[in-house]
Amino acid sequence: MRLNWKPFVLSLVVLLILFPFVYLVFLSLASEWRFPDVWPSYIGFKNWVTVFNSEAGLLKSFFSSLVISLSVAVFSTTSGFLISKAVFYHPKKRVLTLLAYFPYILAPVVFAACLSFFFLKMGLFGNMTGVVVAQFIIAFPYALLFFSSFWNEKVKSYEDLVATLGGNKWQTYTKVLLPLAKGLILICFFQTFLISWFEYGLTSIIGIGKVQTLTIKVFLFIKEANYFYGALSCCLLIFPPVVLLYFNKRYVFKKFV
Amino acid sequence: MRIKKLNIGILLFVLVGVVPFAAAFIYALLYSFGIIGVANDGFTLQFWESVITSGTFFKSFGYSFLIALVAVAISVGGALWITLKFRQQLETRFMSFIIYLPLAVPGIVTGFFTFQLFSKGGFFARISHKLGFITEASQFPDLVNDGLAIGIIFSFLTMITPFFVLLFLNVYKNERVEELSILAQSLGANANQISRRVFLPILLKKTWVLIVLYFIFLLGAYEVPLILGQESPQMLSVLIIQEIKQYDLDKISEGYVVAVLYTLIVSVAAILLFLPKRKRAYAT
Amino acid sequence: MFLEVQHIVKSFGDEKVVKDLNFSLSAKHTLSILGKSGCGKTTMLKTIGGLVPPDSGKILLNGEDITETKPEKRSIVYLYQEDLLFPHLNAFENIAFGLRLKKIPEGLIKEKVEHMLHSLELEGQADKMPTQLSGGQRQRVSFGRAISTNPSLLLLDEPFGSLDTGTRKRMQELFKKLTEEFDITSLFVTHDLKEAVLMGNQIGFMQDGVLKVYEDKKDFIQDPQTGVQSEIEFWGGLL
Repeated sequence: MRLNWKPFVLSLVVLLILFPFVYLVFLSLASEWRFPDVWPSYIGFKNWVTVFNSEAGLLKSFFSSLVISLSVAVFSTTSGFLISKAVFYHPKKRVLTLLAYFPYILAPVVFAACLSFFFLKMGLFGNMTGVVVAQFIIAFPYALLFFSSFWNEKVKSYEDLVATLGGNKWQTYTKVLLPLAKGLILICFFQTFLISWFEYGLTSIIGIGKVQTLTIKVFLFIKEANYFYGALSCCLLIFPPVVLLYFNKRYVFKKFV
Repeated sequence: MRIKKLNIGILLFVLVGVVPFAAAFIYALLYSFGIIGVANDGFTLQFWESVITSGTFFKSFGYSFLIALVAVAISVGGALWITLKFRQQLETRFMSFIIYLPLAVPGIVTGFFTFQLFSKGGFFARISHKLGFITEASQFPDLVNDGLAIGIIFSFLTMITPFFVLLFLNVYKNERVEELSILAQSLGANANQISRRVFLPILLKKTWVLIVLYFIFLLGAYEVPLILGQESPQMLSVLIIQEIKQYDLDKISEGYVVAVLYTLIVSVAAILLFLPKRKRAYAT
Repeated sequence: MFLEVQHIVKSFGDEKVVKDLNFSLSAKHTLSILGKSGCGKTTMLKTIGGLVPPDSGKILLNGEDITETKPEKRSIVYLYQEDLLFPHLNAFENIAFGLRLKKIPEGLIKEKVEHMLHSLELEGQADKMPTQLSGGQRQRVSFGRAISTNPSLLLLDEPFGSLDTGTRKRMQELFKKLTEEFDITSLFVTHDLKEAVLMGNQIGFMQDGVLKVYEDKKDFIQDPQTGVQSEIEFWGGLL
């Protein structure tokens, strides 16, 4: 009889996937873990307790990340949806789409470095508004391209139908287009939220360390070699996307071209 | 009226989607030729010369290219294998949640985690010590910040392999590969022929643009090589940022030279990838 | 005349899709138009409905020039071959859609839609979502949605094109009944010869962007272009 190896490989895969999550939580509970020891000398909620007082500023970072990401998601999804209509109904939509791909595939951190002069001149350097604007600039092409497939012939027919039934532009949006696009808009909202939530390089350049989002915190703790707080910030960073995954996988899986 | 409204949309698109990119590129270009910048006084080719003769860019580009290539090749291969062998098992409720979990981990966390695992004071070093393989931390092999970029490649693999598995599973379903495989079987194809003549061509044909896109993303990756990279050579984004943020003013201009070159390469890639797809000439 | 179309021309790029369109139609009449796909009939209907602006020419509805009027102000409903029911609304709400756009009081909407459901033989289907309805039922809901707004003119673009033969026949009868009940004026485009003869008070034939409207059905049958003659020969030859 041939040995069925698949269950073993599968179990290994599950373990490998779960391991980082478990390990990061474990690390966030540890402290004073000197080198050769396999087990830390302290395991407990000491680090987590500090989250709730201001000492490490983690709670503050969590909320500034939240505010920034929510703003970026709202602005980019709204503008992406509305502007994509003009772009994808345009006769030259292929060229316009290509233009949107340039900022989309450029590394955000390099983009930010080349833009920082303008942000400085506009007073958007080192403050939250600047970070939101910068992240919006990279999330917008994503949102725009996200809706490209929505504006097809069928949707155009729906729009025409509403017009001949006597509906105006506003009614076309509120009664037909938004209900039709509702699911997509929600997915785009969470995906742009995550683009912002995960962003590090661009935030570090435009925020110059003054805007401390969670990713910035993680990196600061790494530099200070404070790995326990680092792991704790990682946990905070991973928590919201896992919750989103639980509700709908499509909120997290970005697969379009 | 209708035309006018559309034009406002296009105007906003240009303002938000095109102007920042153009501004950034022109700024970097002017800086690289010494036309703007704190210590620069007028047009010069000096920075371009020094970047090209020193080979910094080419070394870094080649290094990034190889890392991204190795990571994409291994992860696409692995993901294809997993899709081929474990498709049914991955469709169960529990597994279909588990395989999505890695998508919840951002690059900076992956970098941090890899460091915690493979560094000389990390998880595996402790285990090796316990098992008696090593007696001191320094004896543990260089797996992070190393010349072969093992740490970086490992991180990339953990980041993109799950994505490709999910992508291939999706395409498998949408393109009805299952039905086509059965059809091929009824035409006399064996398992090997099915995977080589049906499974692989369909999956790769449908996803190659995304695969190239992810290659480009890895080429410009920042967080992971920042945490796990070595002094030299560095991956492109890290190199660019390091030079631009230096106090040596000449280096800043050279950083912008590299930025311009990188942007050009990426833009050409975008044109090659996304322009040739012809759709219907016009829609009535 | 109720509808007068004068010298309408429409091109896409170099291609002249509609060439000098001229015809008129009295109120409460149906003009059926026979034409193969790609003969310009869809563009013609969309031009009359205001969805595609003509290059030149004039459209008069009830004596009023509506050439420049926006589609939502024309009171002309264009119906696609696809039923295009709103997937987020049930049958009742789909029919009520146009009435709600006009902000008609709730009680009146309920009354009108229920009457419509009855006329369409759709009693008991009000709460069903589009996916739960059959092809014929969906097409009826789509009719109801158009007729309930009480349009001056109905433009039908191959409305039964996607239905099977039996359903198609029942729908043709139902449509005849509805035109009488609701005093509908309509343009009925089809590529089915029998349907064209059956549905219209008047018949037209469209080819390469040119529409020819016949004085009466006899002329239509006599004209070798329409294909009626060859059809007669075919069936005659079998006897």
